[in-house]
Amino acid sequence: MLAELWSDLRYRARALFRRARMDQELEEELHFHLDRETEALVARGLPRAEAMRQARIAFGGAAQVREASREGRGLVLLEQLGQDLRYTLRTLGRAPAFTAAVVLTLGLGLGANAAMFGVVDRLLFRSPPFLHAPERTHRVYLASMDRSEEGVDVMAGYTRYLDLRRGTTTLAGLAAVSYRPLPVGTGLEAEELPVGAVSASLFDFFDATPALGRFFTAQEDTVPLGAMVAVLGHGFWQARYGGRPDVLGQAIQVGTGTYTIIGVAPKGFVGTAEDTPPVLFVPITAYAGTFRAGPNVSSYYTRYNWSWLAIVAQRKPGVSAEQATADLTRAYRESWGAELALSGSGPGVELARPRVILGPPQEERGPRRSTVAQVATWVSGVAAVVLLVASANVGNLLLARALRRRREMALRLALGVGRARLARQLLTESLVLSLLGCGAGLLVAQWGGALLGSLFLPPGTGGGALTDARTLGFGVGAALVAGTLAGLAPILQTRRTDLTEALKAGAREGGPQRSRLRTGLLLLQAGLSVVLLVGAGLFVRSLLNVRALRLGYDVEPVLYVYPNLRGARLDSAQSTALRLRLVEAARAVPGVEGAAQGLTVPFWDTWADDLFVEGIDSVARLGSFTLQAGSPDYFRVAGTRILRGRGFSEEDRQGAPPVVVVSQTMARTLWPGQEALGKCLRMAKPDAPCLSVVGIAEDIKQNSLTADGGRHYYLPIAQYHPEAAVLFARSRGAAVELAETLRRHLQPLMPGDAYVTVTPMADIVGPGMRSWQLGATMFVAFGGLALLLVGVGLYAVIAYDVAQRRHELGVRVALGARRGDLLRLVIRQGVVVALSGALLGALAALWAAPWIAPLLFEQPARDPAIYLTVGAILLGVAVLASALPAWRATLADPASALRAE
Amino acid sequence: MPDERLDLPQGTLDLLILKALSLGPQHGWAISERLHQVSRATLQVPQGSLYPALHRLERRGWIAAEWQPSENNRRAKYYALTRTGERQLRTETEDWRRLTATVDLILGMR
Repeated sequence: MLAELWSDLRYRARALFRRARMDQELEEELHFHLDRETEALVARGLPRAEAMRQARIAFGGAAQVREASREGRGLVLLEQLGQDLRYTLRTLGRAPAFTAAVVLTLGLGLGANAAMFGVVDRLLFRSPPFLHAPERTHRVYLASMDRSEEGVDVMAGYTRYLDLRRGTTTLAGLAAVSYRPLPVGTGLEAEELPVGAVSASLFDFFDATPALGRFFTAQEDTVPLGAMVAVLGHGFWQARYGGRPDVLGQAIQVGTGTYTIIGVAPKGFVGTAEDTPPVLFVPITAYAGTFRAGPNVSSYYTRYNWSWLAIVAQRKPGVSAEQATADLTRAYRESWGAELALSGSGPGVELARPRVILGPPQEERGPRRSTVAQVATWVSGVAAVVLLVASANVGNLLLARALRRRREMALRLALGVGRARLARQLLTESLVLSLLGCGAGLLVAQWGGALLGSLFLPPGTGGGALTDARTLGFGVGAALVAGTLAGLAPILQTRRTDLTEALKAGAREGGPQRSRLRTGLLLLQAGLSVVLLVGAGLFVRSLLNVRALRLGYDVEPVLYVYPNLRGARLDSAQSTALRLRLVEAARAVPGVEGAAQGLTVPFWDTWADDLFVEGIDSVARLGSFTLQAGSPDYFRVAGTRILRGRGFSEEDRQGAPPVVVVSQTMARTLWPGQEALGKCLRMAKPDAPCLSVVGIAEDIKQNSLTADGGRHYYLPIAQYHPEAAVLFARSRGAAVELAETLRRHLQPLMPGDAYVTVTPMADIVGPGMRSWQLGATMFVAFGGLALLLVGVGLYAVIAYDVAQRRHELGVRVALGARRGDLLRLVIRQGVVVALSGALLGALAALWAAPWIAPLLFEQPARDPAIYLTVGAILLGVAVLASALPAWRATLADPASALRAE
Repeated sequence: MPDERLDLPQGTLDLLILKALSLGPQHGWAISERLHQVSRATLQVPQGSLYPALHRLERRGWIAAEWQPSENNRRAKYYALTRTGERQLRTETEDWRRLTATVDLILGMR
């Protein structure tokens, strides 16, 4: 069997490449036969001429024999493909408008998909470069019961990592990684850049060789303090050091430590980082050992109270994920016990039921996937729908064309072309078109991909579609699928072609039932675009709702200033004085309307303390209460309104009677139905001095835009940790432009290596709004695209119909039909299709509503207003798309229409 | 005059060619002559249809072709049975015998 196949292949290859030679051999062989036959007949006594004639008769049709022999070579398929291609290119060249419409339609559909694929692939499917055995590599999630719900943690402490490493036997490797922005460099040049603090074991996960020098080893990654060495990322090495080889041995200031460069990672190496690629990698113990500012970090490898790193595991070959999970869970339970023994409080193993979950190496595919990833998944669905609409459109155009070519097809059938051959010809045509569309689509994707990448992906990780093999492959594959789908429609039509009828009927169409398939396609398109437009409406409304949401503080004009001491040793008084100087300096910067001190910033950090209130057994049981401390200007600068009572004043200094401002919800929670002003709140201890409530502030969104208890209280910063203060500045104009100016003014005040970062509030709150922003942008873009395609499709079909019905319309005019009648007749056709499609689409959207509801913001997924608006839009498009052909129909001249037949 | 000659059932031409070549390598004309003589002129094989069959068999690797000088000293394309061809001939002969025996059996029914 195999031998036969091989021989077959060899023969075909020879036939393909040595065609002339084989043709010549065939001629010679046939010639030889005829000569021999003639000779034999002559030998029997026939005259030569008669012998030649007889020989030819006995031989049969020489041309047919030649053709059959060639077919025996197995080349015919290829030759016919060549013919089909040439024929296709010729016919397409003759219909440039049609070709352009198809290529453009497909290009937009395919481009949207290829671009979206690039994004989703990077977000969800692509494993980190150089990773060997991605299928055995996992992100380790730690789950435990918190009250009645199971909480899942991505972050763990170094001690936990050590426990898991010691307690497991099924793993080939376990690594601790922490990717975080750290100041790199010193002085005004100091810049926060993404840095990878990783255990040396991480490098064993990859098949990567350093571009220069070496990676660090396990001996350089030991507690309490690892070696102060750094491996540069390739991009950073190129950008900052110009790719010079003499960087090895140079010193670089990272965070609070000075590191020696020992190597450069290969191009594209990012470790397991999914965000912006790290500019350099340092031993995780070197980072943790020099991090002095945090609480209790000096014992980071013995205590459990600092969760700051992610754990990555690689199974040994042959170990199943279940076995590894069980192994890790056992180790985690032991570790939980050890933590309990150390701290003496907290739920026991039986209650907390700690367990390990192994996820894919991409965090977005794990149990803690972000809304952005969910929205991206939805948007790819949307892109696929757009492609479907585009395919339907192209199918429709091809169909209209096929109908126009019915006579040609019938003629070819009558001349003996096989139906299969004809179908193949049509398929070739649609595939050629789809490949042309694919070319256009990849150009669209190249441009649109960069745009999408900037929306969905961390900077520096996206890439163009043309340079990415996976996206290219996807684009071509999608093009072939779309082309085949679109090509099916006209092929179905040829199967029904009735020869005699088609030849008799001329170029005119038989009747309305002919266009059932096309109407079906139009319905599908209209329905799908309604679904997309409803989605667009829902997301836009969500986004508007989010934007209109009162957060309890202003966003646009506010800047957050964080003084990072970076190891500079200041006592409490010096630190307090520094922060006061910073506020003064900030106030003096032109463009700054006001500056104030605070303690925390919403979304980024949260402070809390135990509270005690007379008459309430346990305040903690009522929910979580978060705190902020501020200087007298705080409320004005942040834009938080005081509803009743007063804010802080200069009088609320250290030593003065302690006061507190509480949020509205907090007041209601603690003293329901009572006047909160003047009430007494105690912090930390039941017998602590009484903080008297002097004001009620509006609620704020502290950690999330969607759900927040709003229980928040404010202390005068002079009475609560003034040495840890941060700054808020309020700008007169755009905060974003002020940020760098402010930084340059404040930086000179910082001692030693210390530095400040200035972040617009919009950048802090923005990521929380991103999923709706993305959803709104993408749904609107794709919905609009689909609507455009539907409009074009509707126009093409109706225009075509009108052209076909010229005769009928002419007769109508001849019988006394008025312009208005014809207009109504044609427009009604488009409107009926659009409305039926809209109905179907609305049903589909209603059906899909429960799935999209969780992604919306204070917006019912079945909002009738949106459905009605979308219906009206589609109706408008339908009227527009049919108005032009309808107008043309009214120009039908009865005389010429009737004469043309 | 009634035509006594038979048309070949589909697929049997291949078997006959293989059989003819089992006696030794031959060129196309000689094969057709041999079939003609052995069948006592009963078989109606248009000589031309031999060649597509020969090329098909060659493609399958059951016969191999080689250009050699012929009996009248002209270049001719000689076909010879390959090892797979021999095996194929055996199985096809076997199949044919079983088929005709079965058909006989059924035609002999009363």
